[in-house]
Amino acid sequence: MPQDMPPAGGYEPVQYKRNLPARGFRPSYYFLGVTLLCTWGFYEFGKGVREHNELAREKMWSRIHLIPMLQAEEDRDQVRRHLADKAREKELLGGEFKVYHSDRFVRPTFAATPKDVTK
Amino acid sequence: MSARQPRFNQQVLIDTTPLPDDVPKVQEVGASSAPLMSASFFIGARCKPYNDDYMMCKTDANGRGELECMREGRKVTRCAISVLDDINKHCLDEFRAHWKCLENNNQQMWKCRLVEHPLNKCVFDKLKLEKTIPGTPEGQAPVHTKKRSIYM
Repeated sequence: MPQDMPPAGGYEPVQYKRNLPARGFRPSYYFLGVTLLCTWGFYEFGKGVREHNELAREKMWSRIHLIPMLQAEEDRDQVRRHLADKAREKELLGGEFKVYHSDRFVRPTFAATPKDVTK
Repeated sequence: MSARQPRFNQQVLIDTTPLPDDVPKVQEVGASSAPLMSASFFIGARCKPYNDDYMMCKTDANGRGELECMREGRKVTRCAISVLDDINKHCLDEFRAHWKCLENNNQQMWKCRLVEHPLNKCVFDKLKLEKTIPGTPEGQAPVHTKKRSIYM
């Protein structure tokens, strides 16, 4: 039985490469484009962060300017209550008594409630 | 422990005893948060010496000094009232527009630039009080005068 032999002149070259057209631009262009886009985005983000910092500074200073006024009002109210407390104590106990063994001001734990409703 | 606020269930009990007569009387400011915030930089511009005095007094008293700093505190309050009175007298419409805007925008100043610019201009023209934000980087427009801002 005769053996199968290659055709005369050899086989055709085997086509192993795909024969599809490459779509779009070269990949490096896409890479460049995305890089530029991201750079611009981070630049804008940085600008936003700086503006945010300035806004925070503005807010802080607006509060700093108000703090002394608010604190003064609160302190006056504290003093008013303290003096009223002392006057009431003197009226009720007939003298000033030191409750604590120190000169430091201690915020009173207990309050004397008025006889009739004040507010 | 000692800082706990007393609570009563029956009714609100507030001690209404006024200060003794030997303490000079001073009217309280009585403005709510939005007008105060709107006027804060003008208060800071006019009252800086008084504010600094008061805060220094408080610092010298180790953060207490309620009794010692009453004199400085009265000056601070009077100065703040004078600023608010002047703004009310000369720039009432702009002031009102700005603080209402603040009230409606969660007290975010960056949302109220459009009404803030007329207020700043009016106060600067009539009262010579300028809004400056200390610590702004050199060579950069302060954030309230920027032409184009991201947060707008």
